[in-house]
Amino acid sequence: MRRWIGPFVVLLVSTVAAHALTLHFAPSVIMAQAMDALAERGVALHAFTPPSRVTPQTQQVVRSSPDLYYALCRYDLANPGATLAITMGAWPDYQSLAFFDARTDNFATLRGTGRSVSIRLLPPGSAPQPGAIVSPTARGVILIRRLAPDAARFAAAAQAGRSDACRLERLAS
Amino acid sequence: MMRRALAYLAAVLAGSALGLGSALFMAGLWPPGRNLAFGDVDVGGWRSDFAVGSKAADPYTRARVARHGLLALAKTEAVYFTRATDDAGGRLRESCTYRLSGDPMPAAWWSVTLYDGASMLPANDDDALSIDAEVAGEGAWSAIIAPRRPAGGAAWISSRAAGEFDLTLRLYMPSRELLAQPTAALSPPHIERLSCEGAG
Repeated sequence: MRRWIGPFVVLLVSTVAAHALTLHFAPSVIMAQAMDALAERGVALHAFTPPSRVTPQTQQVVRSSPDLYYALCRYDLANPGATLAITMGAWPDYQSLAFFDARTDNFATLRGTGRSVSIRLLPPGSAPQPGAIVSPTARGVILIRRLAPDAARFAAAAQAGRSDACRLERLAS
Repeated sequence: MMRRALAYLAAVLAGSALGLGSALFMAGLWPPGRNLAFGDVDVGGWRSDFAVGSKAADPYTRARVARHGLLALAKTEAVYFTRATDDAGGRLRESCTYRLSGDPMPAAWWSVTLYDGASMLPANDDDALSIDAEVAGEGAWSAIIAPRRPAGGAAWISSRAAGEFDLTLRLYMPSRELLAQPTAALSPPHIERLSCEGAG
């Protein structure tokens, strides 16, 4: 009986370790796959990509809302000194600017109903600055949502989207 | 000695498989279709995770949301409720017709959208994927969920090509009361099954 104690302990430790590692890495793996899929589907790096209206034929991620205009910008602040200048153009109805890191955390959301919003995104470890948000990870996704539940409103939202910007810049020294 | 080494190897392999499988199971990632069995809020069968989108979400919620609600907003911006059964407890399915009805919602804007078993919009071109606050108007509202457009001009959510499906209720800019006491603040929409094809 005693000779099975060692393998049994190894079994328990392996189970707990695999369980914890799976949970720990699942969001990162899923997010990495999603970012690769977005890149393959033409979502630009460091630019908001003008979207098509969400339909069964154009949907890119699970549970997209057909009532919203979604504009995505992928970012990568891995290079030293890199920073991102972001602008969400004005829109009369509900709109928001949401930031997601490489572990899918929604680390910041700015609402901008009826107005334009500008902000800078700084790389991980940066000192806080006025008018800037520090990203927890080097890579991530920024998402603008605008309420646009019909074709005419979507076209208007796309027009407003011409004022959106997601531009890579150098961190001021 | 060889047998002992094999015993340890088997323990590592079995433990890894158990750990992987149990984590995926408890996070609702495996087997497929279990994602709706979770949530920390239940209002009349409509389930929600108010931790969605926040860093505070537990690892099981985070793993599940990464798969089924990627890029979801935090609850102060929007909350999402999902339901996969009718008022009688039957699984929502394309072959049946339902009446979805409700009262004004505690949010600045809301919508109810139909998704198939893979959490995707159903592959049809009916342009009838949801009902929202603007279509519903003031006061009580209702819509028919069916694979074909109903007669009489009722609001319609198409279930064509959806198979077994679920509904997601999105509440944008939710009221403080909804976030604090969802069961008191939200009058949950009803889903009444009206008929099923092939049923006697």
